[in-house]
Amino acid sequence: MANPRALDKRRKSIRNIKKITRTMELIATARFKKAMDRASAATAYTDRITQVVGDLANAGLEVTHPLLEEHAEQKSGALLVLTANRGLCGGYNGNVIRMGTKRRKEMLEEIPQVAMDVSGKRGISGFKFREIEMNEQFLQFDDQPAYEEVERIANVYLQRYIAGELDRLDVVYTQFHTIARQTAVVETLLPLGTLDGTPDEKSGDAKQSESVYEFEPSAESILEEVVPTSFKVKLFKCFLDAAVSEQIARMVAMKSATENANEMIKSLSMTYNRARQSKITGEIMEVIGGVEALEG
Amino acid sequence: MQVVIVTPETTALDVQAEFVSLPLIDGEIGILKDHAPTIGRLGFGEMLVRTGSDTDRYFIDGGFVQISNDVVSVLTGKATPFADLGMDAVRNRLSEAEALPQSTTAETELRRQSINRASAQIKMLEKA
Repeated sequence: MANPRALDKRRKSIRNIKKITRTMELIATARFKKAMDRASAATAYTDRITQVVGDLANAGLEVTHPLLEEHAEQKSGALLVLTANRGLCGGYNGNVIRMGTKRRKEMLEEIPQVAMDVSGKRGISGFKFREIEMNEQFLQFDDQPAYEEVERIANVYLQRYIAGELDRLDVVYTQFHTIARQTAVVETLLPLGTLDGTPDEKSGDAKQSESVYEFEPSAESILEEVVPTSFKVKLFKCFLDAAVSEQIARMVAMKSATENANEMIKSLSMTYNRARQSKITGEIMEVIGGVEALEG
Repeated sequence: MQVVIVTPETTALDVQAEFVSLPLIDGEIGILKDHAPTIGRLGFGEMLVRTGSDTDRYFIDGGFVQISNDVVSVLTGKATPFADLGMDAVRNRLSEAEALPQSTTAETELRRQSINRASAQIKMLEKA
């Protein structure tokens, strides 16, 4: 029979681990709420930008911009992978890294040169392990990515795209659909393709009404600014989604860890009690045996 | 007239005001109630929001303004309240901006923007 003292020790250590996972779950929940608030604040901004684009399109302006157009020759691409700085969040990092590796292979078939940019310690070590060379590494993004930081990265991509040094930018990140569903996705951010808000060609009955707006200084000048801003906001949204999804993944992982610990404690307690009981029975038998020996 | 400042991170301001002044890319615009619907491109500079006897001042970091139905929406990357700008910090930023490299077009553009931003901030502080 197992040693009851050793069993008790194991049970204690599992209890301690349970305390840690439980706390991590609570922390992740709090962080998730904060991240979620930021994500919804960003939605207010995106909606308004979309509205401005719609107004521009309604004013009869041809929406064209170098960022919307595909380069004729695809020479160099970039792949940005957004992972977490920390682990203990289930399959979150693994899914993104796997998807990133796959997309890199696909891109390399079309484009001779693909630079990898990775955000998050986990992704960096993951790609190092797979012996994939990385161009840039970002560590500064946690559960609350700052717009300023994202803007800085976005500006670099924008300049390179306009200068013709970059022909395509894909971003791999975990998209947030609902609290119960997040999936790793790949999105092509450059070229931007179409802007949200421009009327669909398919819906032929697009609004014909004249725009009521005056444009200061001119619609073209505003378009010049709207397109890069849309790109920056889109990229920012990717970072926000990734941050929210990371916290949810951690919450779920820690919750099941706590539940597993509870189960383990239960079964260990049972074994421990049995071992204790049989030890006592053994001792009583010994005492009785001793008494009988004396009497005999 | 309702005035809203929206940044990608938060809604920085949502108040009723009588007068707003904004830095457009090619000059300043003053907005009173019932302004004609307008979309404008913003530059770096000072935004004034007057409510009653109070005047709030912000530094606006480019973006757009949309005026419709007596609502002024300011979409900007960053809105810094005037009180958060420090003369020393801004001067430091200007010298940092001037020290930026300018070997490529991208770098030159970044340097030019940083200098413009810092000088607009200094101008705003000196006026006060």
